[in-house]
Amino acid sequence: MFRFSPILILLCLVSSTDGLAKVVDETEIDQKVREIAKTLRCTVCQTENIWESGAPLAHQMRDAIRERVVQGQSTEEIRAYFHSRYGDYIMMEPPKQGINWLIWLAPFLLLFGGGVLLWREVKGWVTRTPEPQPPPTLDETSRRRIERELHQDRWE
Amino acid sequence: MTRTTQITILVVLLALLSLFYQGLWGDPRHIPPVLVDTRAPVFEGPNVESGEPLSSEQYKGKVIVVNFWASWCQECKVEHENLLRLYDEFKDHPEFVMLGINYQDEIPKARAYLQRYGSSFPHMQDVKGALAIDFGVYGVPETFVIDKQGIIRHKWIGPIVDNVYTNLTKNVLTPLLQRADTRSLRSGQAT
Repeated sequence: MFRFSPILILLCLVSSTDGLAKVVDETEIDQKVREIAKTLRCTVCQTENIWESGAPLAHQMRDAIRERVVQGQSTEEIRAYFHSRYGDYIMMEPPKQGINWLIWLAPFLLLFGGGVLLWREVKGWVTRTPEPQPPPTLDETSRRRIERELHQDRWE
Repeated sequence: MTRTTQITILVVLLALLSLFYQGLWGDPRHIPPVLVDTRAPVFEGPNVESGEPLSSEQYKGKVIVVNFWASWCQECKVEHENLLRLYDEFKDHPEFVMLGINYQDEIPKARAYLQRYGSSFPHMQDVKGALAIDFGVYGVPETFVIDKQGIIRHKWIGPIVDNVYTNLTKNVLTPLLQRADTRSLRSGQAT
């Protein structure tokens, strides 16, 4: 009985190594599926990617991605496939081409335009604000009058 | 602020407001169909009722109406009678075929559905919904019209009812089939 135990141990090790290798492979595939699925929008639910969505179609799409990953297709090939079926809508980030540039650039252009306008307005306020004037000088008559009145108050 | 700057700001604001207004009334679920005027995907799968294989190859050179449906879909029940009427209207045309694609369904339920509501044209299984993704489908019912050259010429999202039926038969199918007739006549004269 003891004579067979090393063989048994070896078999156990081989089978467990094989098992571990499979787990590692699955994890790599899972990771790639997740990476791709997170870049694709769920077409039946709004503002959710197909990785996070619980919709049946999103589930099928995740399966479709997995099948293609297993077949050895690259991330770009898989994304291109979904883009060819559903258009720009399916991309969480619209492709940087054509009219889509407006989506990418509009916030910065509006921010820049707003900044320029604000700067011009503030500059206008500054130039319109009058310089601080020195207090008017007291003429001799007024000075004497004030002194006289102060003197009178002191002795009354 | 100069007059020109004021006008520019006004124009930009109006443009933004019009985009906002358009967004308010648009259907957020609507996805612009990108497959119209492109080659239809090839397909193959078992017949829902008989289990026999069906494939796009056997429909080559025909005008095909492809309808995605499911037994759990309420709108599919609404349009089903019209689909049967559509098939009856065009079935005698030699270049017309119609195919139902049963999307993400349980086959016994799909068979029961066809027995209850009627079945006059073949239906193919797409249990996993892979073919639906190939066609860019995101819900059922959806209907596609493919011309003789295998190009998708029309897509309709939603049930085929009322004006949609009239538009599909008069403005899409009839011209496509007439074009097919003219071509076959010309080829007949040439020979």
